[in-house]
Amino acid sequence: MANDQYDVVIVGSGAGGGMSAYALTKAGLKVLMLEAGRNYDPLTETPMFNTPDQAPLRGTGTPDKPFGFYDATVDGGWEVPNEPYTVAEGSEPFIWWRPRMLGGRTNHWGRISLRFGPYDFKPKSRDGLGHDWPITYDDLAPWYDKVERLIGVTGRAQGLENTPDSPEGCLLPPPPPRAFEYFVTHGFEAMGIPVAAMHGAVLTQPLNGRAACVFATPCGRGCSIRANFQSTTVLLPPAMDTGNLTIRANALVYQVDLDKAGKAKGVSFVDRVTGEHHSVTARAVVLAAGSGETARILLNSKSALFPDGLGNTHGMVGRYLMDTVGANVVGQFPALEGLPPTNDDGMGMEHIYVPWWNYQRQNRKEMSFPRGYHIEMGGGRGMPSVGMGRMLDGASLSTGDALRDQARRIYGSFISFDGRGEMIPNDDCYCELDPSVKDKWGIPVLRFHWKWSEHETRQAAHMVETFMAVIDKLGGKTVLGAEKDGRKAISKGGEMIHEVGTVRMGASAEDSVVNEFGQSWAVKNLFVTDGAVMVSSPDKNPTLSILALSWRSSDHLAQLARKGDL
Amino acid sequence: MTDTPKPYVSNIDRRTTLAWLGATGAAATTSAFARKARAATPSGKGYGTDPVLTKPAPAPWPRTLTKAQLQTAALICDFILPASATAPSASAVGIPDFIDEWVSAPYPEQVADRPVILSGLAWVEDEAARRYGVDLTHASAANRTDLLNSLTTWPQIPAMRAPFTFFRRFRTLTIGAYYTTRPGFKDIGYIGNVARVSDPGPSPEVKAHLDRELKKLGL
Repeated sequence: MANDQYDVVIVGSGAGGGMSAYALTKAGLKVLMLEAGRNYDPLTETPMFNTPDQAPLRGTGTPDKPFGFYDATVDGGWEVPNEPYTVAEGSEPFIWWRPRMLGGRTNHWGRISLRFGPYDFKPKSRDGLGHDWPITYDDLAPWYDKVERLIGVTGRAQGLENTPDSPEGCLLPPPPPRAFEYFVTHGFEAMGIPVAAMHGAVLTQPLNGRAACVFATPCGRGCSIRANFQSTTVLLPPAMDTGNLTIRANALVYQVDLDKAGKAKGVSFVDRVTGEHHSVTARAVVLAAGSGETARILLNSKSALFPDGLGNTHGMVGRYLMDTVGANVVGQFPALEGLPPTNDDGMGMEHIYVPWWNYQRQNRKEMSFPRGYHIEMGGGRGMPSVGMGRMLDGASLSTGDALRDQARRIYGSFISFDGRGEMIPNDDCYCELDPSVKDKWGIPVLRFHWKWSEHETRQAAHMVETFMAVIDKLGGKTVLGAEKDGRKAISKGGEMIHEVGTVRMGASAEDSVVNEFGQSWAVKNLFVTDGAVMVSSPDKNPTLSILALSWRSSDHLAQLARKGDL
Repeated sequence: MTDTPKPYVSNIDRRTTLAWLGATGAAATTSAFARKARAATPSGKGYGTDPVLTKPAPAPWPRTLTKAQLQTAALICDFILPASATAPSASAVGIPDFIDEWVSAPYPEQVADRPVILSGLAWVEDEAARRYGVDLTHASAANRTDLLNSLTTWPQIPAMRAPFTFFRRFRTLTIGAYYTTRPGFKDIGYIGNVARVSDPGPSPEVKAHLDRELKKLGL
């Protein structure tokens, strides 16, 4: 590897890094990809049809496998051995999900693939809060089109405000709503709230040589038939097929190396298995290690030119860390009891969702919080989990045939409502290097600072209010999450695993770290293509936008390389 | 003696059993909630952050329950879910072994359940001895049912609250473990986990059910 000549070294193999590798290798550039985690092959490692009784503890979540035994994430989680992080004293809680595997979070992600809308790129112009992006929706729209055509996303044009429709031919047909989704749609519509077809990164039809979904097995386990989107099944194989991609796993990059002229000459990493340190060179460096890790690499890249970290002359690296606002309420519905058996497997995520519906009321300043949220719903007659016993708890505990009847009756009668909302970046949410704590290899770790503002806590309270209202409308009973104090109902910082914005893009070197193409203002052959570049964090889940931004930036990088301008 | 149930036969193979016995030594034999400190934290390690997912290995930690405790667990499991006309009993699908695996696990949720379950099993046997002068296995079916029935409703007597809490948790675990087996899927009406060429959505029969219910709700 050391003797090979690379045009680009990419740090990270998830949505950002995987898309960069795809675009750059297709453009003919020689690419070395460094992944901190182990190699991972979804074709042989995915427990597709496994049942809970084949797994320890029936597959329930544990600190070793927080989202359940069969969750695709391997060798990672909220804590990673030997790789600590800290949360500053006085900060609100912040938790940091880190997979350590090829493909990163794209192996287990929710696969909800919503485009940001026109308002989302110019939020400050619209309501005076947060910051505007240096690009508009129209700048990114062609790249959304390309991403959707490449990876396969379901959905349907519905003409809803700030919820872009895709051009003809971009989207795959959405699956029909499940029984409970059909039911809940009536509740929302009776409240004047439109319901939309889900945009999910799952193939409901064959696409680009990949087979269609078999409409069974949970997507969060990954997909051995490549019917949903993972970097490891959709981006990396064609990149490998070009002959231009080399992947090295277990390579934990901690520094961007500069040459005497102040340009990036490569990166240094520690091999997580051997503990040996290595440096590799390339004509350009792409960071896509995830918002936290990308910021950490820059902050740890100290030199005479950049004593506070690479590109951090204006103290912008690590600033404006954002996550998604989350709140959850569960309802039980007598109307769904005794439903004839129905197969609710299929495209793993929701088949419907509720886009934000109050843009105009917010525009008229009629609401107590400025930004919106969308609603995701879980429920139906999915594969029973060990936690289902809790649904049958009570002051009187049935047994025998009465219990069997009760279990059959209430199975599938619960609906979980999840709000996913926009957070406005604030000065209290950022990461920096911890002054004393280091990882196993002596590299300083991140220290997080977090504080939700009232913009978010009031939004969370509104989520709970809305969910309880729709539960009531549908004759149900709230059984979990009836917390009307938004400060208590809101998720922890980082809990939604949508952390973005530590290396934001902007129009000038003073108020941003990279330009609209993720290109460092300070070091022109250094690019960032993960969620770190985001300027705002709309309610729409970030992955589709990371893919579109990464493709756009990588295409720009390839053009510069062709012109010899790196 | 026709009341005496068949002994519970663990599904765990002999080699594994010997390994656990070697690792655990004397198991908890405490007989009351007041003495639950005997339910020491399990010493085993978890399965780690990177277990094989497609063919999971058995849980690696040593087990806790003695043969006698497994018998008690089987009787309680089968009080909760005896065989029905169409589905097997909880013990027939190995739930007592699951309870053992659960209370022996080194993770926080399971460690928290461990003293509750171990003390509860001991309480049940103490109570059988106190009431009937025999262990639960040798009590008459009517007596067994009487004893366990006393745990199915929230008790007015404070002294009964710990046994009730035990039973509620034991029942929750039993239900969760039972319905996550293939016979459990069948009994509850889960018909998924099969490859399909398309997703047709709910059947007309299901939609008709929903339309009726929505109409009742005025929707």
